[in-house]
Amino acid sequence: MNVFFIGIKRTLSLTVAAIVVSGVAGFLSQVSSATAQQHNPHYWHHPRLPPGAVGSRKLQRGGPLPGYFQPVEIKAPAGVQVALSKADCFEQPQDTPLRAGLLIGAVYRLKVTNIRLAEGVEVFPTIELIDRLYTPIGHEWRFAIPIDLTEEDLKLAAEGKFITRVIFVEDSGRALPVRAEKSSENWFEAAPGDDPLAVADSLGRPVAILRLGGRLPEQGPDPFFFFGSPPYITLPKMELPKHKEEGNGVQILPPPPSEEPLPSSPEAARKKNKRA
Amino acid sequence: MRHVMQRIPESDPRPDPWRMLLIILCVLVLCSCRSAELQQKKPGGPTSAGTVMPAAAYGPPMTVENCPADEEAGLAEMEADPPLPYEPQGPWSPPGLARPWPPEEYLRDGGDRRRPADGRSELSGVEPEDAVAHCETADGRKLVVPSNEVRLYSPRFGAVRQVLSLAANEERSRAGGVHKREGLDAPTRLQIVAAAKQHVQLGDQSAARPPLAFYTRQGDGVLSEALPVRAFQDRFKPYENLALIRYGIYEQEEALLLARASEAALAWTHNAAVQVILDATGALAEVKYDASLAVYTVCTPPGIPRLRLVKTASTSAAASGEEVDFTFRFDNIGEETLVRVVIIDNLCSRLEYVPDSAQCSLEARFSTAANEDDSLSIRCELVEPLKPGEGGILRFRCRVR
Repeated sequence: MNVFFIGIKRTLSLTVAAIVVSGVAGFLSQVSSATAQQHNPHYWHHPRLPPGAVGSRKLQRGGPLPGYFQPVEIKAPAGVQVALSKADCFEQPQDTPLRAGLLIGAVYRLKVTNIRLAEGVEVFPTIELIDRLYTPIGHEWRFAIPIDLTEEDLKLAAEGKFITRVIFVEDSGRALPVRAEKSSENWFEAAPGDDPLAVADSLGRPVAILRLGGRLPEQGPDPFFFFGSPPYITLPKMELPKHKEEGNGVQILPPPPSEEPLPSSPEAARKKNKRA
Repeated sequence: MRHVMQRIPESDPRPDPWRMLLIILCVLVLCSCRSAELQQKKPGGPTSAGTVMPAAAYGPPMTVENCPADEEAGLAEMEADPPLPYEPQGPWSPPGLARPWPPEEYLRDGGDRRRPADGRSELSGVEPEDAVAHCETADGRKLVVPSNEVRLYSPRFGAVRQVLSLAANEERSRAGGVHKREGLDAPTRLQIVAAAKQHVQLGDQSAARPPLAFYTRQGDGVLSEALPVRAFQDRFKPYENLALIRYGIYEQEEALLLARASEAALAWTHNAAVQVILDATGALAEVKYDASLAVYTVCTPPGIPRLRLVKTASTSAAASGEEVDFTFRFDNIGEETLVRVVIIDNLCSRLEYVPDSAQCSLEARFSTAANEDDSLSIRCELVEPLKPGEGGILRFRCRVR
């Protein structure tokens, strides 16, 4: 009998040790995972990282990012044409807005031509997606990240300046009470000594980096200039759905008549249903 | 068998209490690991089926008469979980975080999320994104009912720009070295020390002398004994040493002690122990284990006032510039007539009220006021009292900024 009890005690000890280790490990993993996902800034990234570095490090953090084609909408002033690259050469320029699905972590080289008052000048910006949108099911292609190629930025790039635009999802709890314009989003200017990624981190969640100027293509094929020409998918243009006018207003029917008052609680409703 | 009996020493066959305590601690740790999932399944959080269950968002009860025949099989499940309005959710969220995720892509409206509305005034505690209803009963009781939360997928983007000047197509290189090196040739003038002073050695050395003797302390040789108080009168006893007993102030820290004390008191309570008579009427004792208080009241049981407020949106996702219809369904599901029913929706900064779009199925007075988020607070006051079983619909339209 004593042997039986001692055996039970030893088994209990081993079981308890295993439960403690697994329980504590599980608890810590949950806490660390939640903490890591809640605080997800880019402060440790150097502001002068080359294109593709921030996105590739984002891919290493996990999540449903690899292989996802995030819709983007490239906007530019009227008349400006944009060409995407494919197999280390640019495709036919297209009018804007241009919608496409791009991979996260990859760098896409564009060619912007037909700039107003700077005809003949070409600008070669890059787009790097560093995060994605988590749209509800059925709205995957409806919401796109806007990439704004403003006229001012294009002219600055043509003059030899280097422009970095970090696009972020605005924190809805701290959103500016202004109406968003359809032509361009709200943007802020970062001082030359500041890190635009860190500034965007403080305002919301950065999702894309647009870089303009500073590099011209070499003569002949240059795969490094095109960053390997990552794949993309073309999306059709999408217009905002207009709200239907409903005439003189919506006719609201009165509530159905009831002889006895409705049950005061779900429990009373269940009892009433059971009686019925 | 005999060999085994010889190897294992004799010990107490009873389980070790420390190990049993360790087992209980492990169970508590595992229960804490499950708490995140359980918290998600509470009313207002997501469910495994992908829908969210607001606490106040159940519709009228479904009976067998109005239920189709092919749905009778699922009636039991519907009774367990009343039908609820759909709320959008993202397809994925990191483990341990509640959906919908990420929160910056969703607009919240409705409910009473942060500081609760206390009813001292209409806008007391009604912050942006809140939607509550105020009403009163005929005998003056005030009721504040929050609606459920509505979450609208509407991400808005911003950008941070930085412009730098570059030296295009130029390569900066460091200086490789100095072409003309010029070093020191030699010291031009050496000056030798002409003389040196001779230091005098110490003739004597003083030393610290240690004490030669130690003083000793000698006790009195007799131990004194302090006698504690054996008994006292007219003071609080240990189980009475509670703020509630001493000062009449209920403190949360003493809840456990109070619960123990009240359970002990209940065990010794007889039916004819305490009789309280207020206004020549026998008082009723309301005893709760969790509150551990006995409150004696005299009341003719009034009806229970209850107002249900459910908020829905016309779409689950909207881009900037689009318009969204919001609908409130309010019902008096209690047993008292409610007067001065006021529904207030404090819009968040991303929502802009479309003028003259508010409608109500009952006669009501609308008004708006600017709130601290540079948006509007919409107020709808019903003109007529709301009788038990009656209800209505309030609807208005907003443009997403």
